[in-house]
Amino acid sequence: MALTEYEGDSVDTVEAVEAGLPRRKRVSRRALYTRRFMRNRPAVGGLVIFLILVLFALLGGQLAKYNYLDPDFLALTKGPNGDHWFGTDQSGTDLYAETVHGLQRSLIIAIFVAAGTTILAAIVGASAAYFRGAYERIALMVIHFLMVVPSFLILSLVSNKSGGNWAIIALCLLAITWFYPARTVWTLAISVREREYVTAARYMGVRGFSIVTRHIVPNIGSLLVITFTLGVVGAVLSETALSFIGFGVKAPDVSLGSLIGTGADTITSAPWMFYFPAGALTLLTVSMALIADGLRDALDPTSAAGGRA
Amino acid sequence: MHILLAAVRRHRLPARMRHFRENATLLKFLLRRLGGWLLMIVIATNLTYFLANMFLDPRSNYIGRRPPLSEDQIDRILDSHNLNDHVSIWSRWWTWAKDIVLHWNWGQSPTGDSVNGQVSYRVWISFELVIGAFIIMTVLGIALGVYAASRQYKLADRVNQAASIVTLNIPVVVAALGIVLLAVKFNQSVGHRVFYVTGSRSADVTGFARIGDTAQHLVLPTIVLVLTGYAGTQMLQRSLLLDNISADYVRMARAKGLTKSQAIRRHALRTSLIPVATQVAFSIPALFTGAVLTESIFNWRGMGAYFVETISKNDIHGVVATAAFGALMTALGAILADLAVVALDPRVRVN
Repeated sequence: MALTEYEGDSVDTVEAVEAGLPRRKRVSRRALYTRRFMRNRPAVGGLVIFLILVLFALLGGQLAKYNYLDPDFLALTKGPNGDHWFGTDQSGTDLYAETVHGLQRSLIIAIFVAAGTTILAAIVGASAAYFRGAYERIALMVIHFLMVVPSFLILSLVSNKSGGNWAIIALCLLAITWFYPARTVWTLAISVREREYVTAARYMGVRGFSIVTRHIVPNIGSLLVITFTLGVVGAVLSETALSFIGFGVKAPDVSLGSLIGTGADTITSAPWMFYFPAGALTLLTVSMALIADGLRDALDPTSAAGGRA
Repeated sequence: MHILLAAVRRHRLPARMRHFRENATLLKFLLRRLGGWLLMIVIATNLTYFLANMFLDPRSNYIGRRPPLSEDQIDRILDSHNLNDHVSIWSRWWTWAKDIVLHWNWGQSPTGDSVNGQVSYRVWISFELVIGAFIIMTVLGIALGVYAASRQYKLADRVNQAASIVTLNIPVVVAALGIVLLAVKFNQSVGHRVFYVTGSRSADVTGFARIGDTAQHLVLPTIVLVLTGYAGTQMLQRSLLLDNISADYVRMARAKGLTKSQAIRRHALRTSLIPVATQVAFSIPALFTGAVLTESIFNWRGMGAYFVETISKNDIHGVVATAAFGALMTALGAILADLAVVALDPRVRVN
């Protein structure tokens, strides 16, 4: 959490040289974090799986023989074969093309929601802590009120009305998720606002908003990185749940959730319609959770989970 | 309210809480909290009423009917259920609110079904599903957390952590459908139906056979809820217990001659249980939200399935009733969290 703690390294080096000890190479902060992350084997595995999934979503469409919008009426509900690698569904749509597109859709929504959540939470939480007074009270009141509102129900109502437009679904998801991390950011920022460098910046005449974005937010960076990765997992899970019960992404567009929803009806007679989207979805959420876990250990100076460095 | 107070009175309470009851401090504290939560429930329910009226359109249910209904006929049907969007929203709200306050009548669906009638039997189906799973996942989560913490960084702990990360992040839908597939395979290989994958009970079973029948229906959805839900408790219990195991008072207990497991059970566990109990109590509403998917997949006609049905059928009053139920569960979770802290933490004085 405290990124600034590592500045001490350079001082050590200077002292070491003065004392005539063998010179120790200074490790940059990024190299240190990379080394700590890379030592965590599950996290590296998660990163590799996640990158493969992203590549699959981006480039998998190039390999597909069929488009996800063009049904092949000669192959209805066919299992995986040489022509349709993942099989087809009841209307003859190629499941490989659908999975690639659904993965793309789920990823875009998740990354948009996670990025938006992180930015909004950082700005609202940190500025509420810095400006104090009425602004802080109102921001906290809004956050606490949003916590008791039946958010999943409102999400279902709005996104059902939107007719399956993914951008609106993403905006709704953003609207019901940003305030939990904002509360956490605020808790951390009220200790950062008491630091000397914040006071120094204020006496130097730096504008309030610049202090928030230049001095407070970067110092809670590790929390924000983790908020982002966990936000991706959360958004994917909400989006698939929503699409599964039929209130999210709707035909002709597909997401992993709506694909699993279609596959659920024929789970015993045509299980491949469940296997492939469910596999992609599980790999996505689990790999992202492993990355988040590895990042948490790498960024936390007190963590001893992976040895010393 | 009465139920909760009666529960407090009936159960054998720790001496400290009994003491509070004598001063009536606990009661006062509870009443104050209850008042606050009651206000929250009222606000959330009314907010949902207006939102549901904005986004749901019962009139569209009657468009495209064969034979087509005239505008007047549709108006008459909608009027009789207080759902006509041509009437001012304030007058509809007044009728709706008055019925609830005076007659405890939560209105009707567009087809005329009473919301009270639906909710009163669906609530029990949901509870039947959720309560068993809740108890199992809490006990399992705490037990595995303690087991993992007392073997930190050993193989058992690593395996436990890896399993937790995976199960915590398996989407509920994937877990549920995967288990359905496995159960169907198992039934086929055994040759007769051991596990039921749809419904909460068979219609033709009566008497004592009902118990076995209910269990056969209950096993699979319970496995799904426990599998996807225990890991949150497990991880929290593990990390909190690790914080406490190295504390001075635990070492002191060891020095007095307690074995390691005695020291953990009697001293470290008790302290670390407080935040766990809070989290577990606060996870009660999420449990019911999670049951939306489980109920849909296993075809249980509980509150979760009602939530999906009401939204897709433009049943405004039903949607509002589910929102009120959700808010009630949130309040219940929060109050249970308060009670748990009072019961477990000797430092907390409720005045």
